[in-house]
Amino acid sequence: MSVIMSEEIEEIPLASSETSYNDAEKNDIFNREFMPHINSMYNFAFRLTMDEDDANDLVQDTYLKAFRFISSFERGTNAKAWLFRILKNSFINDYRKRSKEPSKVDYQEVETTYNSEEAAEVDHTTDLRVETVQDMIGDEVATALNSLPVDFRTVIILCDIEGFTYEEMAKILDIPIGTVRSRLHRARNLLKDKLKVYASSMGYDTDED
Amino acid sequence: MLLDMHSSASASENNETRKPQKQYCEHHAECLKKIQAVLDGEASEAEKEHFRENMDDCLHCIKMYHLEKCVKESLQAKVDKRLCPDNLVQAIKAKLNIPA
Repeated sequence: MSVIMSEEIEEIPLASSETSYNDAEKNDIFNREFMPHINSMYNFAFRLTMDEDDANDLVQDTYLKAFRFISSFERGTNAKAWLFRILKNSFINDYRKRSKEPSKVDYQEVETTYNSEEAAEVDHTTDLRVETVQDMIGDEVATALNSLPVDFRTVIILCDIEGFTYEEMAKILDIPIGTVRSRLHRARNLLKDKLKVYASSMGYDTDED
Repeated sequence: MLLDMHSSASASENNETRKPQKQYCEHHAECLKKIQAVLDGEASEAEKEHFRENMDDCLHCIKMYHLEKCVKESLQAKVDKRLCPDNLVQAIKAKLNIPA
C-alpha cells in the first residue's frame, strides 16, 4: 500500500517540537507506549472498515507510520489518542480513494449526512423501551451501530466503546468540542432509531407502556 | 398536610418542593444533551444541577436517562471487542526490525 508523502504528513498530529530519539529509545517507545493499544486500535479499525483484512492493513499501515514519524510523538503524552488520530486519518484517505470505486461505500451519502449534521438538530423522541435494549444481544447492537454513517459510528465507538473524553475526541477528529457533543447527540439519536427499527422488525414490543 | 391547607404560605412552599411529575418535557432535546454529558462524565456544574432538578420532577427526562444509560452500557458491555491477531503483531515488528 503506497501512500503519497504529503498525505502521510497530514495524517500525523503536529507536535510543538520534534524529538530526536536513538534506535533503542524508538524501540522502547514503540513497545511500551504504542503496542499496549494494539487491541483497541484493531477493534477501532475493524469497526470502521467492518472487514478483517482491511482492519489488518489499516492497523499495520498506522503502526508503520507511527514508527516512521515517531519524532513527532512526545514521550509520556497520550499515545492512544495520537495513534487513534493517525488510524482515523489513514482510514479517511484510504476510504476516499475507495469511494472512486463504485463498490464498498456510498461516500456521497456520508457527505450529505455530515453536511446536514447541524441542520438535523430537530426534536427527536423515540419510543424505544429500555427492556427492549436490555433483551438485545451484542450482535444486534453491533448491527445497528454498523449501519450508521461512518462519522456517526466513529464518535460512538470513541466515546462509548473506547471511553475517550470529549477533549481527546476533539483532538483525534480535529473538530471543536462543541461539534463532538452535537455529533454524538445526533449519532445516538440515529442509533436509537436503528435499534427501534430493528426491534420492530424482530417483533419486539416498542410501544410505551 | 392538613395544616398546610390552612396556610397559603405553607401551601405555596409545599407546591414548590412537590411539583407534580411532568409527563412531557418541552426542552427534551436540550435535556437529552445534558443527560448524555452527565453519563459521559463531561457535564459542567450547571448541567449537573439542571440534571438533578429534572430528575426530581420530569418523568420524560427520567425515561430518557434510563434509555441513554442502557444504550451506552449495551455498547460498552455487549458489543464484541475484536482482538488484534498475534501474527499481525509479529508482522509489524518484523517489518520494523523490532525484537519480538
